[in-house]
Amino acid sequence: MARSTAASTNANRERTESDFASVLASGTRVRGRVRGDGDLRIEGHIEGDVAVSGDLAIEDGAAVKGDVQAANVTVGGELTGDVSARGAVVIRATARVAGTMGGSEVSLEEGASFDGRIEAEFDLPPELTR
Amino acid sequence: MAQTIIGHGLTIEGEITSDDEVTVAGTVRGRLSSEGAVIVDTGAVVEADVSAGSLSVGGSVTGNVTASDRVDLLTGGRLVGDVKAARITIQDGASFKGNVDMDV
Repeated sequence: MARSTAASTNANRERTESDFASVLASGTRVRGRVRGDGDLRIEGHIEGDVAVSGDLAIEDGAAVKGDVQAANVTVGGELTGDVSARGAVVIRATARVAGTMGGSEVSLEEGASFDGRIEAEFDLPPELTR
Repeated sequence: MAQTIIGHGLTIEGEITSDDEVTVAGTVRGRLSSEGAVIVDTGAVVEADVSAGSLSVGGSVTGNVTASDRVDLLTGGRLVGDVKAARITIQDGASFKGNVDMDV
């Protein structure tokens, strides 16, 4: 059965379903460790750490208990654990998040529930470093 | 659509349960159970006991398999373990080592 698992090379943040090489659907539960290359979309439940080289999306209705590591991380569901992103962390309005968010930038939409720390690595603009 | 795809390059170690179809193109170690079909693509590695509605093996499966409907071992597929299923097909060019229990 041929399926496209080619990594998306476009820099566009807006992703469609087919861009994700891996999907853990809503009726799927994982207890254990998930790691590897490519993007991952989580719609189901995961108990355990997740580390992927591509982008990670935790959709509305999904639940993750564990630390996550990815390029860019988008959270629309429930996450209990620390996030370590090389790029951006986006916490959507539907998200319920507890943990430390680490990334080059972290954004929090209005309506999201968040309990934890934000550690964004960036340089302060010159007018603030005086 | 509630289809799960474990893509090429992704490894899951632990227990996976699903109420729908699961396609494995990467690696799974531990236990895999689905109420629907489990499809192990060419190049995929499953080192796990598998319980599913049906199982189609184009990659490599090491572990015991239980299917409520059927097991299809495709050309180039490899299955090492015992199979419990009402129906089983083994295509020319597939490798299989284990016992078959068709519940007769």
